[in-house]
Amino acid sequence: MNFDLTEEQQLVSDSIERFVQDSYNLESRMALVGKGPGFSEAHWKSMSELGWFGLPFSEDDGGFGGNQLDTMILMEHFGKGLVLEPFLASIVLGGGVLKRAANETQRKQWLETVIDGSKQLALAYSEAESGYEPHNVAVAGTKTADGFTITGTKCMVQHGGTADALVVSFRTSGGTTDKSGISLALIPADREGVTVQGFLTVDGLQSAEIAFDKVAVSADDLLGDVGDGFTVLNATINDGILAIAAEAVGAMEVLYKDTVAYTQEREQFDHALADFQVLQHRMVEMFMEHEQCKSLLYRATMEVANGGDDAQRNIHALKHLIGKAAFFVGENAVQTHGGMGVTEELRVGHYFKRLLVIEAQFGNTDYHLDQFAA
Amino acid sequence: MDIDLSADDLAFETEVRGFLSENAYTNGANPEEWRMKWFEKAKEKGGWDVPKWPAEFGGPGWTPNQHYIWQKETARAGTPWDMPFGLSMLAPVLMAHGSQEQQERFLPAIRAREVNWCQGYSEPGAGSDLASLKTKAELTEDGKHYVVNGTKIWTTMAHIADWIFCLTRTSDAGIKQEGITFLLFPMKQEGVEVKPIITLGGAHTVNTVFFTDVKVPVENRVGEEGKGWAYAKGLLEHERTGIAGISNSIVALEGLKKRASSVKRGNGSLMDTPSFRSKIAELEIDLMAVEYTELRSLATASAGTAPGPESSILKLKGTEIQQRIQKLTMEAGGEFSAAWGGINSGPDFARAGMGGYMSSRVYTIYGGASEVQKDIITKKVLGIKSTKK
Ligand SMILES: Cc1cc2nc3c(=O)[nH]c(=O)nc-3n(C[C@H](O)[C@H](O)[C@H](O)COP(=O)(O)OP(=O)(O)OC[C@H]3O[C@@H](n4cnc5c(N)ncnc54)[C@H](O)[C@@H]3O)c2cc1C
Repeated sequence: MNFDLTEEQQLVSDSIERFVQDSYNLESRMALVGKGPGFSEAHWKSMSELGWFGLPFSEDDGGFGGNQLDTMILMEHFGKGLVLEPFLASIVLGGGVLKRAANETQRKQWLETVIDGSKQLALAYSEAESGYEPHNVAVAGTKTADGFTITGTKCMVQHGGTADALVVSFRTSGGTTDKSGISLALIPADREGVTVQGFLTVDGLQSAEIAFDKVAVSADDLLGDVGDGFTVLNATINDGILAIAAEAVGAMEVLYKDTVAYTQEREQFDHALADFQVLQHRMVEMFMEHEQCKSLLYRATMEVANGGDDAQRNIHALKHLIGKAAFFVGENAVQTHGGMGVTEELRVGHYFKRLLVIEAQFGNTDYHLDQFAA
Repeated sequence: MDIDLSADDLAFETEVRGFLSENAYTNGANPEEWRMKWFEKAKEKGGWDVPKWPAEFGGPGWTPNQHYIWQKETARAGTPWDMPFGLSMLAPVLMAHGSQEQQERFLPAIRAREVNWCQGYSEPGAGSDLASLKTKAELTEDGKHYVVNGTKIWTTMAHIADWIFCLTRTSDAGIKQEGITFLLFPMKQEGVEVKPIITLGGAHTVNTVFFTDVKVPVENRVGEEGKGWAYAKGLLEHERTGIAGISNSIVALEGLKKRASSVKRGNGSLMDTPSFRSKIAELEIDLMAVEYTELRSLATASAGTAPGPESSILKLKGTEIQQRIQKLTMEAGGEFSAAWGGINSGPDFARAGMGGYMSSRVYTIYGGASEVQKDIITKKVLGIKSTKK
């Protein structure tokens, strides 16, 4: 048994850590939030030059042949810096569907540009009434001579406003909540009938609501077999859960460590706050939650990467624990900082806001508990 | 043991309901005009515009039961927005410790909602340990003025306030609770600078306030020099009913249940999912208990006896429950709670649901953080004394 990184992974990890430390303090991040694309094109370019986008793709596809473990290493560092660039949206989610379902032509046309960063993707799967279930799909495809036209609205599409193309799930047969009858397609964002409305989320990231009005989808746009999209979609979302769980573990580490540092500096009643036992024990619990999340993250990531039988249960368990710990660590970091904790000035609140959005993404804490228990 | 309201209380309840429905906001009305009219009508009822003021200062002089009824009914019907600083924080201090001249000068404008006040207690170095405050007030040689220098922080609404009531240090001798003096002065004057602090919900409500050689006439000192601490603290200890916001929470929980029932999950609603449903149930059970904790506390107040140990838990439990309601509202909004706006889908109530939740985190920080409240209960209620030798 061994939880060490390989030499190669360690090198990549170090380079990501350095990048985050050099490029991501609160001030430089806030200069990007809500302006232009909401992230730095220059950072995006550096990330591509450093080769990170190729990590989770096979060598045949032009990647480095890594897997979910490599994404985990990267995302944990991204969580420590609250990185804004659309790695999750384009590489893990959009790219995740493509690597599983695209045909040769689609691979040639799209994967190369996604891996070199010149094109970005977003995954449009969630709807107003999906209730966290990826198979709850009402956006409908109507059969045409050469494919389908699709109509309906997708919601909370992370980085949908800046994506060049959208991976879209839509229903081609069956009832709204059936797992079969879901199809996937890659649709350029500028195709006629696509309306993209971007907006800011509380964590400073970008999301979008995307309306499809009789958008033409040809056979060439379809990803995988008609009606068989769910397995690919679900596997990709599981990758997304692993990725944001790793990000959350990084963010929680910052939160508990900032709290430990702050309580040693701040004095009240002629003591450093860290002298008060109730706060000491609380910080120990924050630290414990973080370590527990890290353990389950490793467990679930390895189980998925190794294609284990228990992968789906591990995913549910992980997303539940991450959400619960995110609330505990976030709330207590804010509380222990007193008034300072609720200001935009200190970074604790910003990490907490990111954790809140992670908690609600891909099914929240309760949803995954119910799935695990079912 | 008996929890029935008396015939008088029931009659009062009917009267309150009548008043609130007669004066309810009607759609399309000018909110500010309605607000001022509402207070006017409430005043005509015999001091209902200042429910907590004693009769001798123009308040209604209600019994604790009547206060409870008022709180319950207004939680349901809603009242015009109001600022607590002048009305519920400064006014009682002036009534107890201000000179007659000060009472006549300041109370009518507070009551008329004409002058807005802010509370200048906390400082960068003095939060939970408020008594360590350092803002200096020095008497001029002629004894006519104090000259105030220092910094206050977290001052809510300082940017719109006309006046501030401020704790200042006039002496460093003795223990730090001594040497604190309670001063009143206008905000819009030279030497007062207000800088906004933006909080996580994105709002500007709190500020840092800097004083540089602000001249305050001695007539604006409340009570004696060096006794300000006792005046400020006495107020907090007298506030018994209503601090926990329990009536509001009961109404908010009803609303939350309705909202959650409107959110689809699979073939049913969010209220049908086991985990969410049991969290709502747990919340309701806690609320049922704390409602009776408040009634017990009210009963001792009615009997005129000292508050029992149960009253000390009201703020802690009440704020915790308010936070849980915000949290569950955010959770019910699901991922849509993350949007600041610019979105049409998802439940309406989810707009900025996370902003609302973030804002609720302050409930356990301001007005005495929960940890410090527990310290007070440890000493005053449990009677635990330090055995350090
Ligand atoms: C939104 C908002 C509005 C406010 N409005 C006003 C206002 O209008 N006027 C005003 O004067 N003030 C106002 N305050 C200030 C508020 O009263 C203080 O924030 C509060 O007293 C806590 O002080 P602090 O922020 O300095 O935290 P600190 O005192 O630094 O405390 C930090 C943490 O340490 C804990 N702690 C401190 N001492 C102990 C101990 N002995 N044992 C265990 N734990 C301890 C605290 O409970 C807290 O969790 C406001 C604050 C906020 C956030």
